[in-house]
This record gives sequence, C-alpha cells and structure tokens, in this order.
Amino acid sequence: MSLFVIGYYALLIGASCLAAYFAKRSAFLLLFSLTLASFIMGIVGGVPALRAVTIAAATLALAAGTSYAFREFLVQILPEGISKEIKTAPLTAAFGMFVIFTYAIAGIFAPVIAPHGEAEVISSAFAPADENMLLGADQLGRDMFSRIVYGARNSVGLALVATSLAFIMGALGGLFAATKGGWLDQILGRAADVIMSVPSLIFALLMLSILGTSLWVIVVVVAVIYSPRVFRLTRAVAGNVVVMDYIEAARLRGEGTWYLIRKEILPNSTAPLIAEFGLEFCFVFLLIAGLSFLGLGIQPPTADWGSMVRENATLISFGDITPLIPAAAIALLTVAVNFVVDWMLYRSSGLKE
Amino acid sequence: MAEKKKEVLLKIKDLHIEGYSDEEWIEIVHGVDLTLHRGEVLGLIGESGAGKSTIGLAAMGFARDGCRISGGSIEFDGMELTTTPESALRALRGSRIAYVAQSAAASFNPAHKIIDQHTEAPIHYRIQKRVEAQEDAMQLYERLRLPNPHEIGFRYPHQVSGGQLQRAMTAMAMACRPDLIIFDEPTTALDVTTQIEVLAAIRDIVDQFNTAAIYITHDLAVVAQMADTIKVLLKGNEVEEAPTEQMLGSPKEDYTKSLWAVRSFQRKQKPRPKGKAAVPVVSVQDIDAAYGDVKVLKDVSFDIYAGMTVAVVGESGSGKSTTARCITGLLPPTKGKILFQGEELPASYKDRTKDQLRQAQMIYQMADTALNPKVKISDIIGRPAQFYSGLSGGELKSRVDELLDLIELDPSKFYNRYPPELSGGQKQRVGIARALAAEPTFIICDEVTSALDQLVAEGILKLLDRLQRELNLSYMFITHDLATVRSIADEVVVMRQGEVVEQGPKDKMFKPPHHPYTDLLLSSVPEMDPNWLTTLLEERGVDNVGEAANTGGKK
Repeated sequence: MSLFVIGYYALLIGASCLAAYFAKRSAFLLLFSLTLASFIMGIVGGVPALRAVTIAAATLALAAGTSYAFREFLVQILPEGISKEIKTAPLTAAFGMFVIFTYAIAGIFAPVIAPHGEAEVISSAFAPADENMLLGADQLGRDMFSRIVYGARNSVGLALVATSLAFIMGALGGLFAATKGGWLDQILGRAADVIMSVPSLIFALLMLSILGTSLWVIVVVVAVIYSPRVFRLTRAVAGNVVVMDYIEAARLRGEGTWYLIRKEILPNSTAPLIAEFGLEFCFVFLLIAGLSFLGLGIQPPTADWGSMVRENATLISFGDITPLIPAAAIALLTVAVNFVVDWMLYRSSGLKE
Repeated sequence: MAEKKKEVLLKIKDLHIEGYSDEEWIEIVHGVDLTLHRGEVLGLIGESGAGKSTIGLAAMGFARDGCRISGGSIEFDGMELTTTPESALRALRGSRIAYVAQSAAASFNPAHKIIDQHTEAPIHYRIQKRVEAQEDAMQLYERLRLPNPHEIGFRYPHQVSGGQLQRAMTAMAMACRPDLIIFDEPTTALDVTTQIEVLAAIRDIVDQFNTAAIYITHDLAVVAQMADTIKVLLKGNEVEEAPTEQMLGSPKEDYTKSLWAVRSFQRKQKPRPKGKAAVPVVSVQDIDAAYGDVKVLKDVSFDIYAGMTVAVVGESGSGKSTTARCITGLLPPTKGKILFQGEELPASYKDRTKDQLRQAQMIYQMADTALNPKVKISDIIGRPAQFYSGLSGGELKSRVDELLDLIELDPSKFYNRYPPELSGGQKQRVGIARALAAEPTFIICDEVTSALDQLVAEGILKLLDRLQRELNLSYMFITHDLATVRSIADEVVVMRQGEVVEQGPKDKMFKPPHHPYTDLLLSSVPEMDPNWLTTLLEERGVDNVGEAANTGGKK
C-alpha cells in the first residue's frame, strides 16, 4: 500500500471522528459515507480511482473557497446597500459571479492577456501544448489559449449585444402592450405568437441564409427570435402593476404613457426582468454558439467558441480534449450565469410574499 | 345567556412572542396573561399591531412564519402547548381548537366544494364517516340559517355570497365540535347588514354548544355584543381586562377611554349655500353606467356644493365607487352628464383638460396600492405640483414641505422615505397630500378610513375636516360606515343596487321617517349597548335575520 492510500484513509477517518466528536451530524454522515464508498472504490478501481476522488474533492473545495473569498471581497468593497444583498447570496451564486467576473476580465483585456493574435499562425496544425502554447494549437496552428481569450470577447460580447437588443424590444413592447391595451396589445401579442411558433434554430438558419451572415444580421435576427419571450414576461409583470390604484391616480392626473412606463411601472417590475435577462443571455449565447458550430454564425478567422468546437471536432476521435475546451468554456459560463439567476429569482419571488 | 360551567379551558401566562425583522428578533408581545373558561367568550381588542391575531394564533400553539413564542406558558385543558410536539399540536387543531379567519373568501379553497372542505376535518380525525359528516354539516348550515342548507354545501365558494361564506366557515369550525374557536375579525370585511347575520349566527352557535371563543376585533360595538369579558391590548401589552358591562360602563385606563371616545367626533352640519352664486361644484345628472352589458347605475343624480361633504352610503355592490369612476371619467356614463361648476365635463378623462383633471382629485381606500412603493414620498407628493403648476427645484421642495406640514407629518423625517416604511395612517395622509398638491376644489374620498384603526381613522377625519375649512374643499365621501357619515357629512345619498334610494341633509336622514332600506342600514349599525343585538333580533324576528338584508329594503 502506498503512502498516498494510507494518508487518504487516515485523513477521512480522522475527519469523520472529529465531526462525530463535535456532534456535527450532517458533516459526519457525509465524511463517513465517503470513507465507506472509498473502501469499495479502492477495491474496484485501485489507487487511480482514489486519486480521482481526491482531485475532485480538492477542486470542489478550491471552488468553494474561491467563491467564499470572492463574496466576502464583494461585501467589503461594495457600498452598504448592495453588500447587504450579496451577503445573502449562496456560494453557488458567488461562484457564478466569480466566473462571470473572470470572463469579463478576459473579454475586456483580451489583447493584453492573449500571448498571440487570434488569427496568427504560429505552429503546425494540432501541435501539442508546450511552454509557448498553453493549450496547444488548433487545426491551422493558431494558439488555442489566445483564441479562447479572444472568443470570450467575441462570443460573449455578441450574445450580450443581442440579448440587450432583444430585451429593449421585448420589454418596451410588453410595457406598451400592458399600459395601452386594446388593439396595440392584440397586434403585438399576435406578432409575438407568430415568431414563437417557428422553431428558433430553423428560423435563424432561414434568416441568415437569406440575409447573409454579417455581424449585425446575426444580432438582429437573434434579438427578434428572443424578444417575444421577454415581451410575454414583461406584459404579464406589468399587467399586475397596471391595475394598481397608483397607476389610476397617475392616469387621472393626465400623465402620458411614457411617464407611466418609466416612473410608475418599470421600477416595480425590474426584479423579475433582471432575472429573465440572465436566463435569456444563456439561451442567446447557446443559440449563437450553435449557429457558429453550423457555420452560419461568426465567420472565420474571428475566434468564436462555437466554431472552434466545430473546427477542432475531428481531434476528438484521437482522444484529444482540445475541442472540449471551448465547449467547456461555453458550459461553464452558462452554468455560472444560471447560478446567479437562480439566486436572483429566489430573491424576487421571496420579495413578493 | 345560559349558565356556564366555570372550568378553566385555556390559561396563558406571561406570553412573550418575538418577530423577526431586519435580521434580529424583536419582541412583539410582552407578557400577556389570559384565562378562558369553558363556554366563555373573550373579546380581544386593540389597534392593528397590538398583537391580537398573534395571541389568538398562539392559543393554538402556533406562531406565524417569522414569529416565535419565546417565553411563557399556554395551557389548554391541562396540556402545555409550548412544549407539545408539532404532530400532537396538529391533532389538536381543527378537532379541539378551530380558527375562523377574517376573509372567508380567501380562506376557502376555490377548487373544492364547501361541504368537502367542511367534512375534511371530521373524516381525517375519524370522528364521523363522510355521509354522517355531510348530514351534520347540513344541520349546522340550518342552525346558522343559511338558505337551502341541504344544497348550499354542494356549491363552490365563489357561488356563495360573502356573508354566507363567513357563516359556512363558522359551521366548518364547528364540524368537530371544538372546545375553543378563535374568531379573527370575522365580520370586518362585511357590510353592516350582512355583519348582523354573521354575528347572530356566531353567537347562537357558541351558546348552543357551550364552546369557548376568543373573538378578535377592532370594532368595540361588535365585541360588546359577543363577549363576556373584554381585554384591551396596546402594542403587545395588556391595558385592562373586565367583564363587558363594566368595561363599557366605566373603563379605567386612559387608552381604553380614548378608544371609547372615538365615535364622539362630530362636526357641525352646514346648509347649502343660497342665492344665485350657488352653483354646485359637481352636479351628477341622471347618469347610467354599465360594465359591458351589465348595467350598474340607473338615473343617479345628486349635487355637491362648495365647502360641503356629501356622503354616499350603501352596501358593497350598490354602485358607490362606480359613481366615483363616472365622475373622474374612468368609466364614461352611457347616459346623463356631469357638470363641474356649471360646465359639462367630457365623459372620458382622456378628453378633459389638465385644469379639469386638476380640479377633481381622488383619495383611495387602500393606501398600500394607491402609493407607488418604489417612489419617494417627496416625489409622490411633488409630482402633481410639478405636473400642474410647473414648479421645480427649490420651489417644488418648499411646496412639498408645506404639504407635509399640512398633513401633520414632519418634512425632514418623511421627505426621503418610501411608502412601505410608513404606517397605514401615514400612508393615507400621504395620499391626501398628493390630492392636495394639485390644488383641487373637489376631492372624492373612497372609503378612506375603512382600512384603518379607529383612532387613526379619527385622526384622518379630523384632518380632512380641517383641510376643508382651510381650503374650502368639497368632498364626496364614499363609505359604508354610518358612524363616519354621522361625524363628517353635511348631506347623505343612500344608494342601493345602482339607484339612489334617498337623499337629503344629514339631520333629516338620521331622523325617521326613513325609506325602508335606509332604516335597515341605520338599524344594522352596531351600538355600544351589549343588548343591542338581542333587542334588534327580537324586533326583526329571529327567523328572519338571515334574509333581512334581502327582504328588508324591498319597496
């Protein structure tokens, strides 16, 4: 038996005993069932299995620690009002915020961080990682790491612009529909139904094949596809606000629709809208990645995670994980945003009670 | 009342309850004692926030979310509820202790028939089989004088009127023949005429089954009819406790006396101005109105003169608020016209000029929904001044300060606060200030005091009266509370089912002869005399009370 295995079991058993001694029931149960599970894994999988468990646990602990520290950091540096809110955030949400923060830094400072240009060929195709290239080279010999960093700027930036546009269109439409009612409500509502009735990916493919794949076409098409969801949500939320007496009072004062929307309705419907923004962002991001993967999104040589997955896809049959790196970048961001959104949704639903 | 056994059923000693707010526990009930004998009715009264409901729930061993019982003992029939496990408490609730909530409409599940909800508890506790429980329910319905007792249970809650639903809920509480029922403001949401039915029904059934009850209310006159003893609470402290007669006759504490004195506020009645100058500020002429195809107003006409208060009274559904909507232009009438200082107003508010809109303002019943929770008080009050008079900067600020002074709120404290941070009475004052900011000549007050405690309501009425004198305002005062009418009105308009039944100066309206419907309304207002309900029921005939509201007013 190697020293590693002995140390592994000693640590687990020691920790379980400590937990039991200090009457931490749930911690003890967790640790001891992990010990028991490790016995079986050790017999079946040998030392590598135990190493995998150790690495997974260490990663989790590291992530939890980072999240905790990041949350405390935010609490310290932000003004009192916001820091009080952040204190209530669970670790998952703090982790999400940390990941988003990292991506934002990578995106904004991409040219500084990336060692090479996004279209710069510096090596042979599919070269393995060395000290010059952190993650190896892609199918044309470009640095994978630099392209990932630039991809954060291109993919995330594009998704952000498209989501914002979808939001502005959908929210404005929803607010006007709820406030004005009548025929405007009907027209906007039916238009939203029509757009929603077409499967989004097929609709996007159709529009992009007709209109070409310039950046602005992508943004507008994606925004149009996703605005009906925002429209519906906004209309429902605003519909609950519009019936309040203070809206009636403002109407009787003779206020215009724009004032009603801006000053009376919008402040009372921001919480669910912000949560929805995060959720929509994920969908838009995935749709753009999907389009790029199909070759209709962002065009080469611009770095984009979706198309990077496609371009390097052949490598997967050789057991190399290179194509999975951009895919993981996509997945990580989606999960992170969802963590934050979950927390926000929980908060906004809690406030309603 | 019949002889009652003097066996102690519930004994609460030194009860402390804490509520969680702003990340700390704050004590909201500070050591209240309470003893209840079998078959006795205890009235708990106090303002909102006095801890009435919290104590009522604690008698079931229950604390609401965000509350906890932090000290003292609750002994129910020899059982200590504070230490009893939750499962045993659950077995107690519904079978031996029952609860009747304020709003029956919100407490019944709209997806199930009334009788199914009624029989749930007896079946669950295996006291009766379903058929037996249903028969028993029908008997209870009969005793509570619900119409068609054999059929009404098979309806859904929305198919039954509010008063009937409240009685069905009382019947439901009786389903397991509990030893103790807690009534939490069971009649507060009802009209005076329906309130009587419910009160009579509750009193009878409590008498018949010798059930003990805790009756929570803020209405003294109601509690005087129901309770054997009355306990007055203030901010989680007991003020005093005494048998009903004694409490009404000679209250000891100052606070109790002030509660008793609330209904004494009265203002001199003003006659209509005479001569040629006397053009009514608002004149409603023969208006009809409809929601879709449903006609809700028929030939409504009345005049409101400068500096006068016209009270519009009637049950809910009588068209009082609809008339107000017609005047403000939210619901254009289908026939007739509305004159403002002799000039005809456009039917819809959208067609009215800024000045016409400015002249007529409205104060709402629910200050919670009438003030935008996300807007600062200074902006709420400042906006009309900014909108109509074009004030800005320092001028606007001094105008808002002036208005806050006018409604007796300290500008430095309230200027930057948001509505949710204010109490009910303060919110209503802000609502008044918003109306005043437009410098109107006419204000519609839609049940402005009905959601408030009596002391607070009194303050609002005094404020409105003072403002009327200072600014020569005209009020249209919509209310169902005749005590309010008595204190503030100059003229009264009685409405019923969308028609004006009777109108005239207040002194005439409160003196006989009345229209039968006015008479019914007037006689239904609870009085402080503990024998009032008994006498009234005798006059009307006991069997007739349930239908009194429906038959009494027919011509």
